[in-house]
Amino acid sequence: MTTSALTRMISRSLLAPTLIVALAILVKGYASVGDGFSAGVVAALGILLQMLAFGRDQVTADLPIHRAPLVAMTGLFIGFAVLAVPVLTGGAPLEHWPPPDEKPIYLGTVELITAVVFDIGVFLLVLGSCVKVIDALAGAAAEDDA
Amino acid sequence: MLIALPILILFPVAIALALMDGRRKPAGIIAIAALAFATAALGVLMAKVAIDGPQEVVAGGWSPDVGIRLRVDALGAIFALTTAAVLLASMAQAVAAGCASRTTPTLTVFMALGLTGLFLTGDVFSFYVFFELAMISAYGLTAGEGLAGGRFRAGFIFAVVNLIGSFLFLIAIGALYRATGTLEMIEVARRAAEINPNTAILLAVTFFVAFGVKLGLFPFHAWLPSVYLGVQPHIAAMFAGALANIGAYGLLRFGGVILPRELELGATAIIVLGGVSIVYGAIQAISRRETREVLAYSAIGHAGYVLVALGLGGPVGLTAAVVFSVANALNKTLLFLTSELRGKFMATAFLIGALSVAGVPPSAGFFGKASLFEAGIDAESIAALVLLFVGGALTFVYLFQIYQHDRWRPRAEGEYDRDNLITAGRPAQRTVGVIVALVVLVLGLWPQPLLAVADQAAAQIEQEAPR
Amino acid sequence: MNLLYAIVIGTLFGSGVLLMLKGDLFRVVAGIVLVSNAANLTLMASGLTRGQAPILPLDPGEPVADPLVQAMTLTALVIGFAVTAVLLALSLGVYRSGRSVDLDDLSEQETEEALEREATDIPPDEAVL
Repeated sequence: MTTSALTRMISRSLLAPTLIVALAILVKGYASVGDGFSAGVVAALGILLQMLAFGRDQVTADLPIHRAPLVAMTGLFIGFAVLAVPVLTGGAPLEHWPPPDEKPIYLGTVELITAVVFDIGVFLLVLGSCVKVIDALAGAAAEDDA
Repeated sequence: MLIALPILILFPVAIALALMDGRRKPAGIIAIAALAFATAALGVLMAKVAIDGPQEVVAGGWSPDVGIRLRVDALGAIFALTTAAVLLASMAQAVAAGCASRTTPTLTVFMALGLTGLFLTGDVFSFYVFFELAMISAYGLTAGEGLAGGRFRAGFIFAVVNLIGSFLFLIAIGALYRATGTLEMIEVARRAAEINPNTAILLAVTFFVAFGVKLGLFPFHAWLPSVYLGVQPHIAAMFAGALANIGAYGLLRFGGVILPRELELGATAIIVLGGVSIVYGAIQAISRRETREVLAYSAIGHAGYVLVALGLGGPVGLTAAVVFSVANALNKTLLFLTSELRGKFMATAFLIGALSVAGVPPSAGFFGKASLFEAGIDAESIAALVLLFVGGALTFVYLFQIYQHDRWRPRAEGEYDRDNLITAGRPAQRTVGVIVALVVLVLGLWPQPLLAVADQAAAQIEQEAPR
Repeated sequence: MNLLYAIVIGTLFGSGVLLMLKGDLFRVVAGIVLVSNAANLTLMASGLTRGQAPILPLDPGEPVADPLVQAMTLTALVIGFAVTAVLLALSLGVYRSGRSVDLDDLSEQETEEALEREATDIPPDEAVL
């Protein structure tokens, strides 16, 4: 499968913006539209575009695609930590921090609350598993062509 | 926090195992350790429920009317404990035989996580989520540990048929939410009494079909034999002993607790379907040669007994359904795990399983069958008693048939064993078989705890059900 | 709105079932996807209420839209996505082992294999005698 130089150039220059948009969707989720899931899907679509433009071999060489399962499981583990840590400190599973009526810590306009941590976990999980699925299907297609 | 403990053990282990190569020993041993801890935790939880009554915790520390609850009563606890024990035995057998696939340990632990969550949740929608987690792991297991030939096709059909069941279940949940305005099981049960009767019947039928597919009941059974035949014996044990529990538990929970009037209304139809399952399963089993195929059809037949118990209803019928489901899960596990192993000990273990399925004392199966007869006598249903008797007799026939076919003859050179599974087995495999056989025997000699818990579960169902 | 939802859900479910009845793996997968989306829409339809967005602070006295069904549908969508990925992987496996996506071809192949196997095996009962 060949793509034109123009397609390749545009897709290459689109990768960084896609990832930044994904991050924006992730952190903006608490003030406006967005969350970890859609951010993960957007980031994975960025990778998919690279695969379509450059072919799987090239992308696997350029980007750490083989780390996708690790990324996914790290995300799942972060989610698990949000579930488990409150239990270890004597609360209910998934308990929210800070508790009601307490001011959260602000980092710029981003509130540091458990939900953000959880969404980062979701983002990593979705990104990792989508990339893995894309990679597996692309790999299968490549094998069948050969 | 005892109720969250099994989930907290299984979850991180499943994540870690996903990154490891399951064909290596350490991964398998970690999986066994996690399942053993989870089983122990569920055992303690079971004891606590039996003494102190239902336990619950609301996720996130929310107030109980908004939050999602983890809630366990005797019914959930006994099913969760049985399932975890079955998965532990099957996993141990898988490791002893040498895992053939890198995904088996992680998928098994994920399946245990899904099943435990499903039995411990008090929320209709999280029930669906955990249920899908368990099912997706099962689809993965058929692909990873299938046998040669049509394994993918069997796995594909298994996935497609069960997905249709899952989506019907999802639609029924949407409809139930629309009708009652809540997802909290106890509240749903309370409000279900006021649902428009027509709606309630539609709901009940949809739930029945959804769980019937999981259980492999007669009209929805087509996927079952090819799947049980297409996977390794220890995976078949997981499916028959653990995954099929979803169907029985779902029917008890959604039929017995939430829609009991519709269950009563459909009792005749349910008993007839159960009867057809029993007879069909038994006749098909008699006509088959290969051990695992016989066992697969036997699973269809035994799904029918649960249905008959449910149809007979009342406290005695519900108790019978619980006792029979637990005994049946253990029997099927024992039979599948020992079906391909040869030698004196394995023959005895298989024989114990066979006699237990047929309901000969002292074995767990005896009390399963005995409680069914009790339910039949209690309901004064001669038809049900005849059915149980005929079913039992047919069970004897096919189990004796495969026992003598497999073990009473010298095996000829190159005889029909298409997947080269039949071996003497490694010592560890034989040990697992013996331990499961002992569990079945001990439950037969000392059934009081099981019967007491089943009574408690039935009483709880009666109490929560709207009257 | 209810009628519209009913028509859309019915059409989706019907088309899904129709596709599933075709003897082609990928059509079956597409059918499952349609049925899954029919189920998701049913979930949405179960909470069709008009009202203000359920975000604090709320205007008193006005009805609030039901946020629960949206959350449920989102979860169900994600599960549907995972299921589709698994199904595609399984159908790829079927295709690889049989080199066909036609279910009839595949079962014919299987029958042939089974017949071949039986021909090479000694029938069990005669082996004893």
